[in-house]
Amino acid sequence: MAVTPLRLRAIVLNALIAAVTFVTLVPFVWMVTVSFMPRYESSRYPPPFWPSRWTLENYHELLTRRQFDGAWFDYRILPAMGNSLLVAAISTLLGLVLTVPAGYAFAKLRFRGRERLLKLLIASLVVPGQVAMLPLFLIFRELGLVDSYAGVILPSLAGIFAVLFVRQATLGIPDEMIDAARLDGAGEVRIFVSIVLPLLMPITVTLALFMFLGSWNDFLWPLIVLSDQHHYTLPVAVAAISREHAADGELMMAAAVVTTLPVLMLFLALQRYYIGGLLGGSIKG
Amino acid sequence: MTRQERSAWLFAAPVLAVIALVFVLPTLLALGLSVTDYSIYALADWSNLRFVGFGNFTDLLATPLFWRALGNTAVFAALGVPMAIGTSLFTALLLNDATVRWKPLWRVALFAPYVTGIVATAVVWRFLLNTRFGLLNWLLAQIEVAPVDWLGDPRWSIPAILLFVTWKVFGYNMIVFTAALATVPQDLMEAARLDGAGAWTRFRHVTLPAIGPTLLLATVLSVAGFLQLFAEPYVMTLGGPSQSTVTILYFMFDEGFKWWNLGQASTVAFVLLLLILSLTLIQTRIGRRYEWL
Amino acid sequence: MNDRAGEGWTRRRALQALSCASTATLLPGCTSRRDPEALTFWATGYEGDYAPHLMTAFSARTGIPVETQSLPGTAAHEKYLTARAGASLPDVMMLPSGWAGEFAMIGAIAPLPDPALAQDTFPGVMRPLTYEGRAFAMPWSVGSQVQFYRRDLLGEVGYDTAPTSWEGWRDLGAKLKRRHPDRYTMLMFLNWWDTLITFAGQAGAYPLRDNDTRGHFRTPAYRHALAFYVSLFADGYAPRVSSNELQDPLAAFAQGWFAIYPNGPTLLTDLHRRTSEIAAGAWGVARMPGPGGPGAVSAINNSIAVSTTTRRPAEAWALARHLTSVSSELRFQQMIGVLPARRSAWRSAQLAGPVLRPFAEQVEQPAMQPTIVEWERIRLEVQIIAERVVRGGLTIDEGLAAMDARVDALLAQRRRLVAAGKIA
Repeated sequence: MAVTPLRLRAIVLNALIAAVTFVTLVPFVWMVTVSFMPRYESSRYPPPFWPSRWTLENYHELLTRRQFDGAWFDYRILPAMGNSLLVAAISTLLGLVLTVPAGYAFAKLRFRGRERLLKLLIASLVVPGQVAMLPLFLIFRELGLVDSYAGVILPSLAGIFAVLFVRQATLGIPDEMIDAARLDGAGEVRIFVSIVLPLLMPITVTLALFMFLGSWNDFLWPLIVLSDQHHYTLPVAVAAISREHAADGELMMAAAVVTTLPVLMLFLALQRYYIGGLLGGSIKG
Repeated sequence: MTRQERSAWLFAAPVLAVIALVFVLPTLLALGLSVTDYSIYALADWSNLRFVGFGNFTDLLATPLFWRALGNTAVFAALGVPMAIGTSLFTALLLNDATVRWKPLWRVALFAPYVTGIVATAVVWRFLLNTRFGLLNWLLAQIEVAPVDWLGDPRWSIPAILLFVTWKVFGYNMIVFTAALATVPQDLMEAARLDGAGAWTRFRHVTLPAIGPTLLLATVLSVAGFLQLFAEPYVMTLGGPSQSTVTILYFMFDEGFKWWNLGQASTVAFVLLLLILSLTLIQTRIGRRYEWL
Repeated sequence: MNDRAGEGWTRRRALQALSCASTATLLPGCTSRRDPEALTFWATGYEGDYAPHLMTAFSARTGIPVETQSLPGTAAHEKYLTARAGASLPDVMMLPSGWAGEFAMIGAIAPLPDPALAQDTFPGVMRPLTYEGRAFAMPWSVGSQVQFYRRDLLGEVGYDTAPTSWEGWRDLGAKLKRRHPDRYTMLMFLNWWDTLITFAGQAGAYPLRDNDTRGHFRTPAYRHALAFYVSLFADGYAPRVSSNELQDPLAAFAQGWFAIYPNGPTLLTDLHRRTSEIAAGAWGVARMPGPGGPGAVSAINNSIAVSTTTRRPAEAWALARHLTSVSSELRFQQMIGVLPARRSAWRSAQLAGPVLRPFAEQVEQPAMQPTIVEWERIRLEVQIIAERVVRGGLTIDEGLAAMDARVDALLAQRRRLVAAGKIA
C-alpha cells in the first residue's frame, strides 16, 4: 500500500498528539508508581519508573495514626480531606445559590442601575483578588472569622465570573418564553425555578464543577486564614508536611495521589460538562 | 419599584452584598492602608499608626528587592506567556486537524493537569526536576546533556517553574482555542487551498484573523495571570535561590503577612493593580488597531 | 467521628448537623474535632516533630492531654503573626529567642508569673527574652555555632584539630586546596546568615548604633569580618552555594566534598544517625575561629512562651515548666541533640563527652545581639547583600554601604517611634 501524502500527514499528526499527551501524563503516572515504591527506592539513578515491589506502606504511614513510645503521631491527611470536602461542597452549594439567580437577573430582569452594575462587574475582573487579601484578613479578624471554615468559604462566594458566566448563558433563552409565563400570571421566583433553571441545568453543572475544583485546590487564602491544624484543608496539610518531608519522595507522592485523585476522578466523570461548558457547545465530539 | 424590579434585587442583592464585603470594601481599605505606615507597631498599639501619603511608594522605589521582584515578574511574563499560549495554540491546531482521531480522548488527557491542585503537582514536579534523581535530568543525560540544577541554580529557576506552570495551565486555553478554531470559515479555507496557498499562508490569512479576538483575550488574561504569579514559586522554591523567583505578589506576601508591614504591602498591591490595568489597556488598544476586537 | 454512637441520631443532633451543613457553618468551630480538654503546643523543626514524646509524661502526671502542632520553620513567623492577629494562638509555643521581644510587644505572650522561672541558665540567654524589664519566655535550648571538621582530611595536611583563628582557617584552606583543587574547605550556605554574624560578633562588631535605630556596618570591625568572609569564597576555600543547591549537605560532608561544616548542635543527631556514611571517629568539633582565637559567638536559642489568650494559664505554665525541666531537656538532648538551656542539666553525665565540650565553653561566652523586633528581618536582608558581595555584584565597601542604607530604611519607623519616646 502506497503511503499518500495525506496518509503520511495523518500518521505524523496522530503520532505527534499522542506524544504530547504522553509527555503531559508522565508526571501523573510517575506520581502513582512512585507512591507504591518501598521507601527511598525513587532516590536512585537512573530513576526507576516501576516499583521493584508494590507496597502500601507509604499510604499506611500517611493516613493512619501511629503510636511510638506512648506518643501519637498523625499527618492528619484524612481529616484534612474531610475538611476540604466540607468546604468545597458548601462553597459550591452556596456559590450556586448566590450566583445563578443573580446571573439570570442581570440577563433578563430590568432594574435600575443594571447596566452600570454590569459594567462595574466586568471591570472588576482585572483587579487581582490579592489586592483585597490583606485588608480582608483584618476584616475577618474583626468578624471573628479567622481560623474558621466560614473564613475560607466566604471569599470564594464572591463569584463575579460566575455571575457573568450565567448571564451569558441566560441571554440565549428566548424572552418570549419568560413573557408568556408572566402573562399566565406566574411569579418571578416561579418563572426562575420552573422555566429558567431547567434550561440552565447543563451550565449549572459546569459552574458547580468549576466552583468545586476551585475550592478544593485553593491554597493561598486557606494557608493565611487557618491556624489550627484541625481546620486545615488538604492542600494546606500537604504543604505543611512537604517541607519537612521533602526527602521522603514516596510518602509525598502518596500525599499527591490522595490530593489529586479525587479531582481527577470527578473531572473524568463530568468532563463532558466541564469541557463542553468551556467550548460553549460550539463543537461536537 | 415594580414587581420585576423587586425580584431582580432579591436575586442579585445577596451576591452583590458578598462581593461588597469580601472584595469592594477590602479593596477600598487597601487604598486606605497604602497611605499609612501600618506595621507591627500598629498591631501593638493603634496610636503608632500614621498617615504617610506617598511615603510607602517612594520607599518602595528605593527598595532593591522590589525592583528585583518586578524584574523577575517581567521575565516570568515575557517567557511564560508565549510558552503557555504557544503550547495551547499548537495543541489546539493539532486537535483541529481533520486527520487526527480520538479527539475527545486527547482533549481530556491534555486538560487534566489544569484541574489538579498546585500543592500536589508541585510535589511531583520538584521530584521530576530533582538534580540527581529527576526524570528530566535523566532524559537530558540520554542526549549527553550535563545535569541541570533546575531549582538550585538562579539562572534555571525561572525556566523550571515555567515548565511546571505551562504544563499545568496550557489545557485551558487549548480548549478555548479549539472553540475558536471551529469558527474558522471552511469555504474561505477551501478557496485559499484551491488558490494554492501554503499551510503558513492559510494560517496567517484565514485562521489567524478568525481566532484573533480569542487569541488576544487569552493573551491579555495570561499576561494578567503571570503578573499574579505567587503560589508556584512559594511551593517550589520559596522565592529562591538568591531571590531569583521572588515575584511581585511574593514580595507583597512577605511584606504583609511575614513582616506585617500592611501599609507597604498594600502599596505593592496597588502598583500591581496599576500595572495590570495599564498593560490590559495597551493590549486592547493594539488589538483594536489591528481590528481584532 | 460520632464518639457516642450508642445514642443514635437524636432530633437535636440532627438539627445540629443540619445547621452545620447550612448557613451555621459560617460560624467557626462547627466540625472541629480538637479535644476540648487538650492544651495546644506549637513548635517548629525537630522540636515540633518530637515534642509528643515529651508530652506523655506530662499527661500521665496531670491528666491533661496536649496536642502538638508542628509548623514548617520557613513559615513559622507568619503563622505566629496571623494567629496572633486572629486570636488563635496556642496555649504554649516554642519561639526562637530573637522573636520573644516582638511577640511581647504585640501582646501575644504573657510575662513569666515567677522570676524564679528565668534562673538556672547561661549568660546572655535571658536578655532577648526580656521586654521592658520583664521576662516573657523560659529558656529551652541553647545552640551556639561551632565547627564540625573531618579529622582524616585535616590529618592529610598535618592538622590534629581544626584551627581556631581566622589566619589558621585560611592556611588550612590553602593547604587543602593545593591537595584537592576540586574540593572545598568549609561550607557556608550563602542564604544562611549565621556564619557572617558569628564572624562579626568575634570581630567585636555590633551591627546597629544610636539606640539600635541605624545600621552600623561601615566600621573597621564589620569590614574586617565581611572581608574575611568574602575572601573564603574568593580564594575558592568555600563553594558559592545556597542551601537549596545542595540537597544533602551531610552526605557531601561524609563524601569529603568539604572538610569543615560550621553548624549547631542538631547536626550531632544527624551524625549519630548516619554512622554508616560517616564513622564516629571521622569527625570532631571545635569552637568557631576568631580573629585571634575563639571568642564570643552569638547563639541561636529557643524558648517556651505562654500565650496571653490562653484560657488556662496555670495549666499552660505547668506545661511550660515541664518542657523546660531538667529531665525534659535531657530527654530532648538524647532524642534530637538540642542542648539544655538549664545550667543544672549540664551536670548530667550525658553531656560530659568531649564532643560537647566546645559547646559548653561557647555558651559561657555569648556575643551581644540586638533584641529589636526588626532584627530577624535585618539579618536576612544583610545576608542577601553579603551574598551579592560574594557573587561579585558589589565590592566590600559598596556592600557595607548597601547594608547601612537598607537597615536604615528598615529602621525608619523605629527611629521615629524612639524619637517620639513611644518605645525605649
